Amino acid sequence: MRSVFMRHRWEPYLWILPSVLLMLIFVVFPIGIVFRLAFSNISRAGVVGDFAGLKNFQEAVSSAAFPQVMLNTLIWVVSVVGLSTLTGFICAMVLNQEFVGRKIARSIMVFPWAASLVIQASVWNYIIKMEYGNLNNILLNLGFIQSAVNWRASYQIEFVWECAIGIIVTIPFVTFTVLSGLQSIDDAYYEAATVDGAGFWKKLRHVTLPLVKPSLTVSMVLNIIYVFNSFPIIYTITKGAPANKTDTMVTYLYMLAFYDQKKGPATALSVIGFVILCVASGIYMFITMRKEDTGL
Amino acid sequence: MKKVLSVILALAMLLAIGIAPAAAEDITLDVIIAQYGPNTQEWFLGKGMDGSNFVEKFEAANPGIKLNLEVVSWNDLYTVVSTKISNNNAPDILNIDVFADYANEGLLMPVSDYCPDELFKDFFPSFIEQSVIDGTCWAVPDLASARALFYNVDVLKEAGVEVPTTWAELEDASQAILDAFGGDVYPWGIDMTTDEGQAAFAYYTWGNNGGFVDEKGEWVLNSDANVEAIEYAIGLVSKGFTNPNPATQTRYDLQDMFAAGKLAMLIAPNQLPTYVADKEGNVNMATAALPHNEGATSSSVGVMDRIMAFKDDAAPDQAARNEAIGKFLTFFYDPANYVGWVSMEGFLPAVNSAVGALVEADPSFQAWLDVLGGAKFYPTTKAEWNDVKQGVIDVEQQALTGGNVKELLDALQTKIAGK
Repeated sequence: MRSVFMRHRWEPYLWILPSVLLMLIFVVFPIGIVFRLAFSNISRAGVVGDFAGLKNFQEAVSSAAFPQVMLNTLIWVVSVVGLSTLTGFICAMVLNQEFVGRKIARSIMVFPWAASLVIQASVWNYIIKMEYGNLNNILLNLGFIQSAVNWRASYQIEFVWECAIGIIVTIPFVTFTVLSGLQSIDDAYYEAATVDGAGFWKKLRHVTLPLVKPSLTVSMVLNIIYVFNSFPIIYTITKGAPANKTDTMVTYLYMLAFYDQKKGPATALSVIGFVILCVASGIYMFITMRKEDTGL
Repeated sequence: MKKVLSVILALAMLLAIGIAPAAAEDITLDVIIAQYGPNTQEWFLGKGMDGSNFVEKFEAANPGIKLNLEVVSWNDLYTVVSTKISNNNAPDILNIDVFADYANEGLLMPVSDYCPDELFKDFFPSFIEQSVIDGTCWAVPDLASARALFYNVDVLKEAGVEVPTTWAELEDASQAILDAFGGDVYPWGIDMTTDEGQAAFAYYTWGNNGGFVDEKGEWVLNSDANVEAIEYAIGLVSKGFTNPNPATQTRYDLQDMFAAGKLAMLIAPNQLPTYVADKEGNVNMATAALPHNEGATSSSVGVMDRIMAFKDDAAPDQAARNEAIGKFLTFFYDPANYVGWVSMEGFLPAVNSAVGALVEADPSFQAWLDVLGGAKFYPTTKAEWNDVKQGVIDVEQQALTGGNVKELLDALQTKIAGK
């Protein structure tokens, strides 16, 4: 009896040991290094010097580009997460209906998600090219336009494109998360609502939304983290140009570290990003834990 | 019997331990080479050097020296090097463009420590000067390229214009090309991207007798000549004479457009014909001097890369290490090897001994060597160069979105030079 008890005590730890080791080596250790670098003097050539206090943070936050970059990050996260959640929700509602070809429609929906983000961003970059882009070619051939249009006439428009592409590539994830939620709703609720005389909007508000809320929360919070960290779209299309006006925090700190060779401020910025995401994940954990408590 | 066997085995192990240090007397040099094109890897490590490669040939010719050679793409080069330095694992020999930061931080060895005199005298003196800080030379040039104006002969002919030599002529020619081709052909190519926007700054400011520094080598980024030059360049964009998105269209995008016949004129390095041929473009092209402002002189832009050696205080025998590095350089610059290397990627040489063979193989080289002789180089020996480079690109991109050139350059000058 005692030996079984003992075995049970250490056995689970043994089983999770490999995962814990991997996490330590590939997650915790690098985070530690970044924190150390953020508070150190780092030379241009890469020599790590002594403790620098908050110097790197000051330099990062006081740069001329910082306010614009933070504003862009906010617009980027809010617009991409917001609009992709709305559109993804509508798509999920449609795909939850019975219709001929529903399986095909669902597969088409998931295809873009299977392609890597860099490939999707490069393809879109090609589509909107003025000189040999597909969009101009199609419109010219259909006779909608007479000469090639510059789809990237200003950096504001370029940023709108980037957000739009971000939304398009995020929709599949939202759709499938919400769809799984929708499918778990018992038809009996809708039948009861119909008997009570509820129309489409009332059912949506009082039956669908409350029951699909957990899935929506999961997709939204995960999306905030993914989109905040998303790098390929902006880097592929504008690299933050002109003059950091289309940078988000992640692309900005990449350019700072690997292009401007300012590793100190760049690591400081990534620590700031880490803290922001910790708060977001904290909220996520809080919501999911509370959900479990109430047994919803 | 077993005992005898184990004694023999133990003796064998001892012997092996004894032998190991003898083998370790070989010096191993860690070398990082920049990837100039698809042939670089083949030449250094594959079969690109008469069926063999540089490393094999070098090791055969220099017993006792091993090369741990790595070819790294330009995209990753800076990151790879700075990561290695951060981890106290700097290479012995590095091929890259910049050197001032490494030299200023005391990471490099002076060239005189390892480069044989005879070889040192073989470098073009004007090239060596570009790697001297306070009288000490910290790197040697490995190759160079020069920039010139390339133009599509057929497009200019159809538009009925001559090759522009001044800025005013450039605007007239651009207008004529616009009139003749509408939006189908961009008259003039400008790259103000983070890739190489500093080159645009050099083309226009040097073409207006301005530039990064004055005769004394002090930063003069906001000089009147510079302000006028950048305003002129931005004016070309706003008048619609150029490719539409200079902040995101790199020189390679421009070269692609040129190869496809969609761009009439651009400033590009001497390898452009090779590039166009690789893209299977069929452009009737010719070269000319860079256009300049009325009353100023035209000057070409030279770009040079370097080879440098890092200190390694942990090396047991410094003299032997220095000698090994010297042997590496001697073997690399030996005309039997170097001529093949330079011509393979279409670059220009950095040593006198290679000129004869190169000109013999391709007479057009002589013209480029002349261009290179009068070319100006970036002030890469100055510690602030990296900040200046990012700074002028930022100024250009801000100006493209409506910023005031004078105010932007004033701010940059204050940031860099404090006045």
